[in-house]
Amino acid sequence: MLLFFVPAGLMIRSNIKIFILFFSFLSLLGLSRPGGEARCEDIHLLAGAGLRQPVDQLIDLFREQTGCRVIVDYAGAGNLLARIIASGHGDLFMPGSFYYIKRLEQEGLVDSFSIIAYHTPVIGVNRGKAHLISSFQDLARPGVRLALGDPEAMAFGRVAMEILEKSKIKDEIVKNVVVYGATSKQMALYVAQGDADASIIGRADAIQYQDRIKIIPVPEEYFEAEIIAIALLKKAADRPEVIRFRDFMGSENAIEVFRHFGFLHLDGAER
Amino acid sequence: MKGLHRLCFIALFLLALLVAGVLFALIFRISFKELGDAISSPEVLFALRLSLWTSLAAIIIALILGLPSGYLLARRNFRGKVILDTLIDIPLVMTPLVAGVGLLLLFGQTYLGKYLARVGINFIFSPWGAVIAQAFIAAPIVARSSKAAFEEVSPRYEWAAQTLGLRPFRTFFRVTLPMARQGILSGIVLAWARAIGEFGATLMVAGATRMKTETLPIAVFLNISSGELGIALSCALLLIAMGLIILLILKQIGNNHRRELPMKGIE
Repeated sequence: MLLFFVPAGLMIRSNIKIFILFFSFLSLLGLSRPGGEARCEDIHLLAGAGLRQPVDQLIDLFREQTGCRVIVDYAGAGNLLARIIASGHGDLFMPGSFYYIKRLEQEGLVDSFSIIAYHTPVIGVNRGKAHLISSFQDLARPGVRLALGDPEAMAFGRVAMEILEKSKIKDEIVKNVVVYGATSKQMALYVAQGDADASIIGRADAIQYQDRIKIIPVPEEYFEAEIIAIALLKKAADRPEVIRFRDFMGSENAIEVFRHFGFLHLDGAER
Repeated sequence: MKGLHRLCFIALFLLALLVAGVLFALIFRISFKELGDAISSPEVLFALRLSLWTSLAAIIIALILGLPSGYLLARRNFRGKVILDTLIDIPLVMTPLVAGVGLLLLFGQTYLGKYLARVGINFIFSPWGAVIAQAFIAAPIVARSSKAAFEEVSPRYEWAAQTLGLRPFRTFFRVTLPMARQGILSGIVLAWARAIGEFGATLMVAGATRMKTETLPIAVFLNISSGELGIALSCALLLIAMGLIILLILKQIGNNHRRELPMKGIE
């Protein structure tokens, strides 16, 4: 507030004074960052939009434990990948599918990664339509309205397409697609609202709308569960706090948080 | 004064530098060949065509709804006017994504949505979803600018025309509308610019189905997400080119307006 009052009072005297005042205030604001805890440079994480719930909780926990702040960008995995390649920005990359870490590895930007949990594709069915759709084969029924992810732009869009390929009834199912979305949450919303009858989405996305979406498993022979991992980018590989965060995300506690939100444990016990 | 002007000049220079920098960064990221290939690809051509017709349809809807609203708000006082006036402005301050969710919920699985679908009007997951999303944002702009334009036309002209025997409808079309033309036209052009760049609401209502609901902004988004920077940037440049045309039209309207101003008293 002060910032706005002081220059206003001085306006008549000199313009230069205003500028000097303005910039000195700005620099003061910059220096006096809140929280007197151990100084630690901000960690920049780029995470898949579908991982938001557990990641939000975990970065709060990490800050409590270490005083380090983690700044997260959430978006579709492909979007994040493009951003990292175009700008070289970010310390850690955590997409909903391991495929994107592999692509970043091909670019020579990955130092190392830790594996966290499974991101399992399921069929989410609007509870009002559960009587019509009770198995994977039912997705091919005429009249079913399906929402899928764009196969190029997002993790579960690509996964869904692979599942359809393996199922051998791809053509029949694709005929039923009424919309392609850009994130898993968008499609979960469509199914929850009843604008689409069913979609192939992440188990965690379906669990978020448990009261409106029924989960039907995808036959196991059609897919390999996506692995959620966190990759350390080469340019941040010498920062101890970044490495610490990567290890924190791979810890038993963090995995428990992921499980709480519907992601499956890597030992496969719940598969 | 000189010192102040110098400071202002620095600000103007920095602003111009920033805009030019963004433009150059976009242009120099792709080669001519990439641009040519992308612009002649079916996906980009489709997006261009879809963007053009959806925005045109949106503008027509915006005009049908916005122009009479603007006229009424300029001419009449009635109870609740302030509330209505403020209400129709809300789309302008709404995050497009929120507008999109709202439209999805309104036209989705409600009685209204189901009724419209039964009579063949389907906004959800269809190109018409893009139209309604764009019209939702364009109509308030048209209403706002035509209200301002009509307010500038003194009602005395209308009274005079009617005293001379012109019926109200003809008075509107032959006197009021021509006199308010400039303001309304620039409103339409601005609304069109917003409509053609609309993204968030379209994404929610129409979805991001390639070659079906893929407007230019959706094409930019999808292709950035799938790492096709060439196609994404070509679409972006097409959008910018259209924006440029829109700006030139606006400037032209402004010039005409100024040229006609001295005549205004005699009209």
